[in-house]
Amino acid sequence: MNRFKAIFERDLRKFIRNPLVVAMSVLMPVIYLVILGNSFQGELKRLPVAVVDQDNGPGAEGVMERLSALEAGPRTVEVIKVSSQGFAMEGLREGVFKGVVIIPPGFSRDLARGSLAEIGLFLDNAETIAAATVQSAIARAVSEPGMEFVGIREERAGARLRPIEIYRKIDYDQTLIPGVVIMAIFLGAMTTGAFNIVMDRFLGVEESYFLTPLTKSDIVVGLVASGLLITTIIAVVVLFFSSLISGIYLWRLLTVDGFLLMLAVIVLSTLGLQGLMFVIMGRLNHPRIVGILGGFMNVIFFFPSGAIYPTESFPAWLKAFAVVNPETYSVHALRALMFKGAGFGAVKGDMAFLAVFAVLAVIAGTAAFKREL
Amino acid sequence: MYAIETENLVKKYGRLTALDGVTLNIPEGDCFGLLGPNGAGKTTLIRILTTLIRPTSGMAKVAGFDVLKEKAGVRSAIGVVPQAMTSDLDLTGLEIMDIYARFYGMGKKERRERTDELLSMVGLRERAGDLIATYSGGMRRRLEIARGLVHRPSILILDEPTIGLDPQSRRVVWELLEKFRKGDNLTILLTTHYMEEAEYLSDHVAIIDYGRIVALDTVEGLKKAIPQKDTMELTVSNIDMAKAREAVSAHQSVGSVAVNEGTLIISVDNGANAIPELVDKLRAMNAKVTRVTLKEQTLEDVFIHFTGRPIREEEARKVSFLLGAGVPRQWGK
Ligand SMILES: Nc1ncnc2c1ncn2[C@@H]1O[C@H](COP(=O)(O)OP(=O)(O)OP(=O)(O)O)[C@@H](O)[C@H]1O
Ligand SMILES: [Mg+2]
Repeated sequence: MNRFKAIFERDLRKFIRNPLVVAMSVLMPVIYLVILGNSFQGELKRLPVAVVDQDNGPGAEGVMERLSALEAGPRTVEVIKVSSQGFAMEGLREGVFKGVVIIPPGFSRDLARGSLAEIGLFLDNAETIAAATVQSAIARAVSEPGMEFVGIREERAGARLRPIEIYRKIDYDQTLIPGVVIMAIFLGAMTTGAFNIVMDRFLGVEESYFLTPLTKSDIVVGLVASGLLITTIIAVVVLFFSSLISGIYLWRLLTVDGFLLMLAVIVLSTLGLQGLMFVIMGRLNHPRIVGILGGFMNVIFFFPSGAIYPTESFPAWLKAFAVVNPETYSVHALRALMFKGAGFGAVKGDMAFLAVFAVLAVIAGTAAFKREL
Repeated sequence: MYAIETENLVKKYGRLTALDGVTLNIPEGDCFGLLGPNGAGKTTLIRILTTLIRPTSGMAKVAGFDVLKEKAGVRSAIGVVPQAMTSDLDLTGLEIMDIYARFYGMGKKERRERTDELLSMVGLRERAGDLIATYSGGMRRRLEIARGLVHRPSILILDEPTIGLDPQSRRVVWELLEKFRKGDNLTILLTTHYMEEAEYLSDHVAIIDYGRIVALDTVEGLKKAIPQKDTMELTVSNIDMAKAREAVSAHQSVGSVAVNEGTLIISVDNGANAIPELVDKLRAMNAKVTRVTLKEQTLEDVFIHFTGRPIREEEARKVSFLLGAGVPRQWGK
């Protein structure tokens, strides 16, 4: 315990002696937010949309046909027929659906009468891009010419889409915050913990540590712990500042429970990445290799995480990777906690995955570490 | 009991045999010097003894613990000063000492006292709060020696402890080692390629070359074992050189004598003692002695005798020109 604490303390001291690293670890993710928030556009595909048909009339059937055409043609959405509105809304909240189309009772009747026939569209506006895409695709589909039952006679009588955003208004900048926090965690995990081993090895300092009674797990756990503390602090600071610059006042938005849950997600995500870094970098001995690997891994983990594009739009092989990518679960959980006011129930699956991943990664990292020259 | 014993240690790096069957027994309390040129295998031997690398074959025990099976025992018994400077530059001297003391499970009070005592002894107390990056090479060495002793090891192992130091700092380190040795009844194993260092510090010296121990004895014993003696040159006048030569040859410690014009070139045991006697003898024959030089036999002569080359003949380290320096050890060759 004493030995482990000594390693822990040594690492913290070394870290704070390098204020530039501290500043950059915080600044860079926040700058990412600004850059990313302003530079991403593009078409999304296969967004799952639930359709609840409460009308069961010919009008609804027509809408369903249009949506199926949309699914078969440009493949923007994937239509899932759902019978219960409650189930559909829950799916939306959990991020399973990116939108819910409700065809209300009497839709066919209104359409036949030529009065205003409305379809309800619920959007997951915690993911701005996906929400916007779903909205415009469905709007295009239901108002397309050739829909006989949409008011050719009178413009006013067309089926009109009334989007209802289920959460408070969220800007695109803001929806990126979970991704930015994850990026901060990644950068933190990459520049603390295992990286110290690489540096020590490179500088030849490790030799004198290996000469002492330190065990493998003293070294690995000590470094993981100090990296965990540093990275968690950085992530929380990044969360705070990136929220602030995109106009969110976290202290108003979050309950204490919500914040603690977010903290738990951050800690678990960090731990998993720290362990993973030991697996990957534990035997490297040149910081340049870490530089190359770090840039590569950041992209590899970040973009398939759903932080920017919904994972549903990925081709199957990338989707498969997203399923095992810990950052996917972190992003999902942070987004739910931050914007949807979700409780433990909504994120417990994510947390379970992150916890299992963390434990396995730290064990594998310790096993991979070579306490020898 | 021996502090360090090895039997037929072999270490191979691919086709290169860095250690080629080293058998050593170092008694407790001894100061043992391992003398060898660059690449002789000194560091390799030390790394095996300190559990950093595994031997390809052979056995080694340090403080009674097997280096392969009882690593923890070995590690708590030894203090080591590695060849490269290994203190974190971004920590202070005090922090390094304290952190290392904690690795050995020392309590707070004990740590503070021991750190204080050692830092004073190595003359770093005033600078203890400064970052090691601001220390000179000699200060860093002294700190590493103090660090190696923080847990009161019974064996101190130093790999080229004075490499890169100026003669003055070197002397400071020697005196420190003498002092520690007397105080704590330490066994010291040190490698060096400085003759004076081995001569000054060591009770026993082993000469290692190409991974083999080629000679092992006390410094005196080693010197006695080789035919070379001190060389004295006496320049004389006012005497017949043949007679002078005869007179000098008669002295009991003189071996061969050669004449070069007015100079007698004398091979002699213990030349320093023989000078006055020889000079007196020549003066008694009315000769005038105008010049005396003495080149004493050194460990260097011993070294040349056993290895066939002087110790400072350094081979340039080959570094891959594609990869440059600072690449993994395995690749840089
Ligand atoms: N990791 C390694 N991989 C391959 N060869 C090695 C390795 N370490 C040492 N060697 C080789 O083993 C031999 C002995 O090296 P060692 O470092 O023990 O020499 P040394 O006596 O300490 O030399 P120096 O006085 O230069 O420190 C050298 O030929 C060296 O090139
Ligand atoms: Mg060496």
